[in-house]
Amino acid sequence: MTATKPRIVTVRQHILKANDHTAAENRAAFAAAGVRAINLASSPGAGKTALLERTLRDLAGQVNMAVAVGDLATENDAARLRQHGAQAEQIVTGTICHLDAAMVQAVLPRFDLAGLEVLFLENVGNLVCPSSYDLGEAARAVLISTTEGEDKPLKYPTMFNTADVVVITKMDLADAVGFDRDLCRENIDRARPGVPVIELSSLSGAGLDAWYAFVRGQGV
Amino acid sequence: MHEASIALSLIDVASEVLREHGAARASALTVRVGAWSSVVPEALTAAFPACAAGTPLEGARLSVVTVPGVGECPVHGRVTLDVKRGLRCPACGAPTPTLLAGDELELDEIELAEPDREDL
Repeated sequence: MTATKPRIVTVRQHILKANDHTAAENRAAFAAAGVRAINLASSPGAGKTALLERTLRDLAGQVNMAVAVGDLATENDAARLRQHGAQAEQIVTGTICHLDAAMVQAVLPRFDLAGLEVLFLENVGNLVCPSSYDLGEAARAVLISTTEGEDKPLKYPTMFNTADVVVITKMDLADAVGFDRDLCRENIDRARPGVPVIELSSLSGAGLDAWYAFVRGQGV
Repeated sequence: MHEASIALSLIDVASEVLREHGAARASALTVRVGAWSSVVPEALTAAFPACAAGTPLEGARLSVVTVPGVGECPVHGRVTLDVKRGLRCPACGAPTPTLLAGDELELDEIELAEPDREDL
């Protein structure tokens, strides 16, 4: 037990650098094929799949879209999405609570990227872990529903802080649940000053025009 | 709770550094975790030993340094940001949209373990 003096090595490297590298490869593949990849994140039940179902239905014939959807255990979401005529591939993550760039890269060969304009990456329902993982997306949309409380942006600041757009879903239920719109928007702006916010209802269709402009990459 | 995934990535990065330096094992490592990184230091520390078992990082001491959020207020200059208050100057409430520090998730240092003479 006469070990020599230990050496200290300064590293200063991002712990997720392997993910960043794969995300860059994904981003290059999307750019080469002219595909706009959109990462959708929210808590479970905020309405990601419902919004995508409506989007696939409404933009059918106008925008070539497909979905890669992450879920811990089931293929239910992909089955729901396929009913609307678009390709949907499930990424079953097992016990992993987020999508990472390698999971997305693994599923890409199942898509004809050259024939696509928009690829939705529906993340696992979770407002914590997906925030750390770049998937190579062009834009990140974070959803919050009127039924889940106005303080989510303050409870999960990192997720909201990395959003390119925040979507408030289930606006048709806002009055019924006493949703405080101004407070919610103030909290979103605290987590991500200046971020565009879209209020919509996938059920009634209110506010979807702004969402579709974002999907097409035409701003909000 | 994705700290186990983070711990596994940390071990990959650290193992690569060990290979580059021709070291078989590490005795300690320091990581910097930003207050806005959504990684919980306690959970990372708890997950690390199990993830490190059977790797060159087994038995290494993990130290986590928490980096506070820093923003730039147009009036007050560099200010420390409290996650609970959002990206707002603590003095005047002005928006500080850019996080200058506090989103780190990085391996800062590794202490290489030299082989014991008994191992040679």
